[in-house]
Amino acid sequence: MDDPLHPFELHALIPLSLFGLDISINKAVLTMWVVVAVVVGLLWRAGSQAGLVPTKLQSLAELLIDFIRGIIHDTMGKDGMRFFPLISTLFLFILFSNLLGLIPGSYTVTSQIIVTGVFAVGVYVLSLVVGFKLHGAKFFGILVPPGTPGWLLPLMVPIELISQLARPISLAVRLFANMTAGHVILGVLFGLAISGGLLIGWLPFSFTIALYGLEVGIAFIQAYIFTILTCVYMGDAMHLH
Amino acid sequence: MSPTQSPMFSGMGQAVRIATDLLASLIVGGVLGWLVDTYLLSSGPWGIVVGLMFGLAAGVRNAYRAAQRWGPDDTKL
Repeated sequence: MDDPLHPFELHALIPLSLFGLDISINKAVLTMWVVVAVVVGLLWRAGSQAGLVPTKLQSLAELLIDFIRGIIHDTMGKDGMRFFPLISTLFLFILFSNLLGLIPGSYTVTSQIIVTGVFAVGVYVLSLVVGFKLHGAKFFGILVPPGTPGWLLPLMVPIELISQLARPISLAVRLFANMTAGHVILGVLFGLAISGGLLIGWLPFSFTIALYGLEVGIAFIQAYIFTILTCVYMGDAMHLH
Repeated sequence: MSPTQSPMFSGMGQAVRIATDLLASLIVGGVLGWLVDTYLLSSGPWGIVVGLMFGLAAGVRNAYRAAQRWGPDDTKL
């Protein structure tokens, strides 16, 4: 049986380099292009035949957009709608790369920690930029929870600093670990089913099917979690306390 | 009903969120302590000990805050 982490290895399909930087095209890059194409294509089609009586595709798109708008309103308030393009792009990209990765034989982009890490760090840095732009130096007050007595400051500031630094890490690791672990489990169980033969193989095979259903749910939930935490961090930066 | 209040999403979301938040804070605290130990003060194991304690405190505080924010009767959002 193969090493269960084998499907996650990346090899350059078209080796390229730019000023010494390795920008080779590999499976993950290709999959990202496919994901972008699928999202854009679906939304384009949904929007191009928009009518007062929505088609099936249009109502699906409206449902998704409404869902994202709900998240933003709940966490950032009305002025959070400025970030709607960013948040919806993030949500749709992560959701569709999770879902497309579940098609057997395809690749899950979100199982690469570099992808989720870039998203998480990018979002976090953006929230810092927004905070400093809106509040100036007062933004350092995010390290002091409201109502902290002065003598507790030496204790609270390091704790808050750590919990701030932990945000991008937990954001990146959560998505990456969930997707990788899910695919590894599916791979191991399916490998058992193949090597078990008909006599006993039906048992791991039925587990594979059940877990596949669970993975579809997890694909949605992880995209949702990433998006809502992005909104929460942005909201924290916009409305200081 | 808004998505953040739908029972499946908010329940699963809360559960998934708190677990990794605890772990990430602990790791960040430990790494910061280790950095102080190795590059700043060469203070033996004490940096990592204190760092882990602060990390644990930060993790528990994060979990507490998340639970407070998405509690059943809370309207803080």
